[in-house]
Amino acid sequence: MEFFSNLLNIICYLPLVGALFIIFFINKENTKAIKLWATLFAGADFLISLALWFRYDPNGEPFQLVYKKPWIPAIGAQYFFGVDGISVLLILLTTLLGFIAVYSSFTAITHREKEYYVWLLVLQTGMLGVFMALDFVLFYVFWEVMLVPMYFLIGVWGGPRKLYAAIKFFLYTLVGSVLMLVGILALYFYNSTGFALVGLPGLGNPATFDVTELMKVAPSMPLSLQKWIFLAFFVGFAIKVPMFPFHTWLPDAHVEAPTAGSVILAGVLLKMGTYGFLRFSLPLLPEASRWAVPWMVALAIIGIIYGALVAMAQQDMKKLVAYSSVSHLGFVMLGMFALNPQGLSGSLLQMINHGLSTGGLFLLVGIIYERRHTRGLAEFGGLAKVMPVYATLFMIITMASIGLPTLNGFVGELTILLGAFNRNPWWAVAAATGIVLGAAYMLWMYQRVFFGEVVHEENKNLADANLREQWTLIPLVLLCFWIGLYPKPFFKIMEPSIRRVVQVVDPQYFQAPAASLPKAPAQEGAAHGVAE
Amino acid sequence: MISLWLETIVPEIALVLLGGVLVLLDAFAPRLRPAFAWITSAGVLMALVIRWSTAAPGPVWEGVLAVDDLGRFLDTYVLVACTLALLMADPYLSRTKARYGEYYGLLLWAAVGAMTMAKANHLLVVFVGLELLSIALYVLNAFHRESILSLEAGWKYLVVGAFSSAVFLFGAALLYGATGTLSLPHLASSPSANGTVAALAAALLASALAFKLALFPFHAWAPDVYQGSPTPVTAFLSVVPKGAALVVLARVVAYLNPQQLTPRWTAALAALAVGSMVLGNLAAIAQRDLKRMLAYSGIAHMGYALVGLVAFGADGVTGVLVYIAAYTFMNIAAFGAVSAFSESEEEPHLINDLAGQGWERPVVSFALSLSMFALAGIPPTVGFVGKFLVFRAAVNAEMVWLAVVGVLASLVSVFYYVRVVYYLYMKPLPKRKPAFSEPWAVKALSVVCVLAMLLLGVFPQALVRLSQQAAEFLGR
Repeated sequence: MEFFSNLLNIICYLPLVGALFIIFFINKENTKAIKLWATLFAGADFLISLALWFRYDPNGEPFQLVYKKPWIPAIGAQYFFGVDGISVLLILLTTLLGFIAVYSSFTAITHREKEYYVWLLVLQTGMLGVFMALDFVLFYVFWEVMLVPMYFLIGVWGGPRKLYAAIKFFLYTLVGSVLMLVGILALYFYNSTGFALVGLPGLGNPATFDVTELMKVAPSMPLSLQKWIFLAFFVGFAIKVPMFPFHTWLPDAHVEAPTAGSVILAGVLLKMGTYGFLRFSLPLLPEASRWAVPWMVALAIIGIIYGALVAMAQQDMKKLVAYSSVSHLGFVMLGMFALNPQGLSGSLLQMINHGLSTGGLFLLVGIIYERRHTRGLAEFGGLAKVMPVYATLFMIITMASIGLPTLNGFVGELTILLGAFNRNPWWAVAAATGIVLGAAYMLWMYQRVFFGEVVHEENKNLADANLREQWTLIPLVLLCFWIGLYPKPFFKIMEPSIRRVVQVVDPQYFQAPAASLPKAPAQEGAAHGVAE
Repeated sequence: MISLWLETIVPEIALVLLGGVLVLLDAFAPRLRPAFAWITSAGVLMALVIRWSTAAPGPVWEGVLAVDDLGRFLDTYVLVACTLALLMADPYLSRTKARYGEYYGLLLWAAVGAMTMAKANHLLVVFVGLELLSIALYVLNAFHRESILSLEAGWKYLVVGAFSSAVFLFGAALLYGATGTLSLPHLASSPSANGTVAALAAALLASALAFKLALFPFHAWAPDVYQGSPTPVTAFLSVVPKGAALVVLARVVAYLNPQQLTPRWTAALAALAVGSMVLGNLAAIAQRDLKRMLAYSGIAHMGYALVGLVAFGADGVTGVLVYIAAYTFMNIAAFGAVSAFSESEEEPHLINDLAGQGWERPVVSFALSLSMFALAGIPPTVGFVGKFLVFRAAVNAEMVWLAVVGVLASLVSVFYYVRVVYYLYMKPLPKRKPAFSEPWAVKALSVVCVLAMLLLGVFPQALVRLSQQAAEFLGR
């Protein structure tokens, strides 16, 4: 039992232990050993995190595998880790992508390898902590800790405009998170001593940053205060997502980051914003969330269409994928602010899907970039003949990203559209335009890169994806098929947690079944529909 | 009775005597010079042990000295800072061929001055401590007699320091005229302690201390003095007098207005805090010299610390104490790196010269980078804990606007702090490599500061607890 009560700690800190091990015990010159140990630690972390999949009981307590110790009693901060159905899936995604990021960097990174793998592992610990922390101070600490390794990964190992991109990324995220901190403090004082400033006495509870405690009291907060806190959280999370119009850091950071950095950035870091909304904004500030629905949906739909249109105009593959993220994350936000079980579970599933498919796309772009040192679409053409395996993998991931039935993107988008339609059919119509545009730019890119004649002499003798490169992608491809064909286990894990969020954020939903779809939860219907 | 009282200031007496011994040793046994740093460090650590192994009796010497938890906290702070400054100083002095006993003696006397200020419950004792600290620093600032910059720093500090001492004395005299006493506890019970004359006196006292703290608009001396002084002296100067002055200010404020600040005080101190945070951070962006940048950043940091004092109450003072403790490690780590990165005091310490050094000198550079992130207030460093407590106290004291200004100001600061990291690791090494040295003592200092910044950042409970105890003097 001791092992399981420490399971989250082990998963969270194993990469950090790996980083320290590499710093102190492995010589800088011995790059083989560095890669080996980094891979071992990241791989072991992934394998251990698989225990969550089996150990987490969807029908049990809301938060499980809890580890709770006093941390800074003077201010009421605790060391509090715990997971629910939402975080379990995101943790698994993080450990998987973290492992793939390490494994995919062997040939991409050719200088200062030691520091590179150390930062990658430290980043991993920071990200995992964000998904596990159930105390606001702890959460905030992990949230900020991630910034530093990412700053170094972009700034040292990035592309030509890395310096600009790194500092932009750092400052943007920091501005958001500091405002979020102000929101956290407002919640904290509302629960304890209150503010005379807005004429609020406060609840007089013992001062705490415990999220589960705050969840009990925060929803009854007056709307005016909820709105302010929602706005503070919104800035922090929306920059991270990134929602239109806060997305401008993303193309720079993605394009300049090394491949593994982009994979982590797209696959995990962006999910922290959406996770923040799902974990904190909705259940803590339900009234303000309902108040914000029109605004959030408008921004989400603008993001979907704007991201897709801009992606269509890109000449650089990495930039194209980066803008496609803006569009996809718009979907996630739309589903979330449908505020019903279908929308929310579709939104969460789409977070996973986006991590898999966009992570995969960045890996694929990285493979071709290593060979040609360019990502311009005009530089390629006819690669399907030269690199057949690569072309096949690229095709599958592209289809997953577009949302072809039998692949994961379809399930996620369909569930989100169901949720959105359920709220307001017009939202679904607007979002569906985004799917069409998405298919257009992705297929157009595929066509320009892989079909036609090989026009550039350099492309005639390109080596196909080697075994290691294939193995970075195969897990992603398998998962894409799994989620596409049989998503039920995923929905089953998240369902009770999602239901709890909906119960807080829209209590009427379950009381008035007429407004929703018939009895069986819609996402299960969707899942079966695809499976059969 | 007298014997009992002497016992309470054994550390101070011992350090003063040790300072004298060092000066004499320099004259009569110059062979021992390489051991001076060890002798001094041993003395400082002994003083620390004595301070903690004897009880803190509270007010002694007819109430003019308060050997309480706050005094003990500040003594620890001063002595730790002093040890770290010594660790940095020795290789620096031997390199610049200025390893004289006077340096160590003056450093110890300055430390005793700061310790006296921290425990003073009487304005004349504050003044004696202040002068002891300042006079020692006048000399230390000009310790490089051949360097024009160092002499300029010494002169500037002397002129400004003498001026602020005069202002302090004038304030004290006015207060005596208004209330008939200079003892802080008696002031509290004096009926005229809230009159106009007393308010004017308090304003003068606060101005004099603001000079020492380099708060806006009394900050103009800081960049020149920081830049010109020998780097280990700058490190000492940038933390020790500030901690002492903040504690004096806290005591004065606490006794003049028990428990709560009057609106008049709040407005004045808040204006100083806001001005310092804004000006310090904006001016720091424009600096190309690392020491000048740290000077402006120091102005801003005293502004943040003052936010805690404006918020006051147990929370606010706890925040201030944690803040200055955090600031010590961050700042000394930064100056330690500066001292390793500068061959000669004549050359400017340009941020440009750091280009690519991160990979060449991993330990010192890591300490410098971490101190930059800590100064910027990024967790999990102790800098975050300090800022968090101070701003939390401000929000709690219904001064949300002050916290917001502080948060925005610290966002601005991130830009110039991160720029240092960017030069260290992301700029290529220049063709002409600057000849930097990296003595082991500075490496050791870096490791100590890194551990302190991280451990106190991740496990701040002990520090917070200690500060809370020290802040209990308010509750009396």
